[in-house]
Amino acid sequence: MIIDLVKYLTVASTLFILGIWGIFLNRKNIIIMLMSIELMLLAVNLNFIIFSVYLDDLIGQVFAIFILTVAAAESAIGLSILVIYSRIKGTLAIDFINLMKG
Amino acid sequence: MNVEVLLFYIFSAIAIISGSMVISARNPIHSVLFLVLVFCNAAGLLILLETEFLAMLFLVVYVGAIAVLFLFVVMMLNVRITELNESILRYIPIGGIILLIFLFEILSVINGDLVPFFSSKLFVLDSDYISLNHNLNITFWSNQINPLTNVASLGEVLYTYYVYCFMVASLILLVAMIGAILLTMRKRMNVRKQEIFDQVYGNINSNVRYIN
Amino acid sequence: MIYFIISWILEILIIVVPLLIAVAYFTLAERKVIASIQRRRGPNVVGIWGLLQPLADGLKLLVKESIFPSNSNIIIFVLAPVITFLLSLLGWAVIPFGYTMVLSDLNVGLLYIFAVSSLGVYGILTSGWASNSKYAFLGALRSAAQMVSYEVSIGLIIISVLLCAGSLNLSKIIIAQESIWYIIPLFPVFLMFFISALAETNRAPFDLPEAEAELVAGYNVEYSAMGFALFFLGEYANILMMCALCSVLFLGGWLPPIDIFPFTLIPGPLWFGLKVSFMAFVFIWVRAAYPRYRYDQLMRLGWKVFLPLSLAWVLFVAGILVGFDWYPFY
Repeated sequence: MIIDLVKYLTVASTLFILGIWGIFLNRKNIIIMLMSIELMLLAVNLNFIIFSVYLDDLIGQVFAIFILTVAAAESAIGLSILVIYSRIKGTLAIDFINLMKG
Repeated sequence: MNVEVLLFYIFSAIAIISGSMVISARNPIHSVLFLVLVFCNAAGLLILLETEFLAMLFLVVYVGAIAVLFLFVVMMLNVRITELNESILRYIPIGGIILLIFLFEILSVINGDLVPFFSSKLFVLDSDYISLNHNLNITFWSNQINPLTNVASLGEVLYTYYVYCFMVASLILLVAMIGAILLTMRKRMNVRKQEIFDQVYGNINSNVRYIN
Repeated sequence: MIYFIISWILEILIIVVPLLIAVAYFTLAERKVIASIQRRRGPNVVGIWGLLQPLADGLKLLVKESIFPSNSNIIIFVLAPVITFLLSLLGWAVIPFGYTMVLSDLNVGLLYIFAVSSLGVYGILTSGWASNSKYAFLGALRSAAQMVSYEVSIGLIIISVLLCAGSLNLSKIIIAQESIWYIIPLFPVFLMFFISALAETNRAPFDLPEAEAELVAGYNVEYSAMGFALFFLGEYANILMMCALCSVLFLGGWLPPIDIFPFTLIPGPLWFGLKVSFMAFVFIWVRAAYPRYRYDQLMRLGWKVFLPLSLAWVLFVAGILVGFDWYPFY
């Protein structure tokens, strides 16, 4: 491969770190948090595929397909929980989501 | 300069810039659109890695389904434009320590020169065969023997050796589908629906009359 | 090096320029054919038989004033029709016009077209939202939901054809139809694909989100002049791409019907053009002949009728191929 392994891994880990930053910078905004989780899953996916190409092992790509599946399922359920939460509470503020009323 | 290297730099630069705009855009719709850009550039990076099936799969699943879901939810719920959390300073001590540990772990795996104390021969059983060497020589065996496409090679493995994982993945999707429908469906009591079968099944002699 | 770049650009132009002319004259053809079905003439004032009508339309749209709604997001407002038009042109990169006459012979060509049509949802969603108008937004949401629903059944139908052909490469799919076109063994699949393609491109009878009598033309109500022209061109280029995909997947692409003497005189690209024209004619015919579906009927059709049917067809085709040991050779 013309492009070094380390360069690809830097990109994937930078995206992962951006996702982690997104979570703890946006504690009040649940949608940005969900998007940061998707960003982290994307970075991990890229990591698996990069290593699968560089180590000549197909299991990385197979597992990447499964991570894709789980990411889709998790974002669907997370967003539908968000939708009914906003339907019940009337607002998207998740500050007091741990209270049982309502 | 090589086209591949140029494309790699373009894709990764736009991906990282869009990634930082995702977490720092004020308008949530801009965040979602930048997320779409990150996904598209990740697919471009995968095409450079010669895994074109996975690149197209990323486009269809991530961009075409997950990001559309985000866009629908953001457009229909009244997501207020919030400011960036100003009190970032209180995260710096502990966050800085965790960041340094994380960096140390990653760099000691990737680049053996950084940590000269742990030499690469420390974990070696037989120094002629195994060594944690830091430049990985890559040999493309698949290009030399039998050119299978990315789709074909994944298909040969996925349905034979990993078929149980495949079925578990399909069960995960089934559970997610049932969960999403169950959580968000509202049955409205006073809506009159159509019964297509009853409407179409009627007897033509009793339902249709010839007027002159 | 410079020769490489120039030949590249020429190859792209040789597909895009005739495509744009074809799209322009397809609008005229639609008006004339619908007029004939409704027993009137259609446009015949501007040139002989109305042949200069698309130029007149284009000129009108070019000199119109572009209005930007206040309080709308200007960047996204301008980008949305650009994205729609760009994506409808991108799909044509993998369509084979003749033997090895394809711009880019991707091994995942069919999946590439599917990905490009999945991306088409974004142009509509962002245009509806950026217009800052309730009707545009509602029309865009409806249209996007419809497109996403029918993409599922298109994907499953593509799997049925892929099982028979053995490759996602469009040229290999055409070559696999040398013995028999797939419309004959997979005729119900062809019908389902045609109807799903009608719904995917927001075309009558599934055009509730964008018909002029409903919801005031839907997501492109706030667009005038060039924005509207780009949406229009993008939609018709999308229709032509679906017709081309129909003819590649089911009608045998550039293959003649029977491989004997009189039929082989006509070159492959001409056969392809004839098949695409025939499919486009059927698209126009369906628009003139059928009333419009209501939105809930449309969604019911997508999820409760076409999705189970196409899934059942995938299982059926897979079962027959495994049972009789007729695996495709790839």
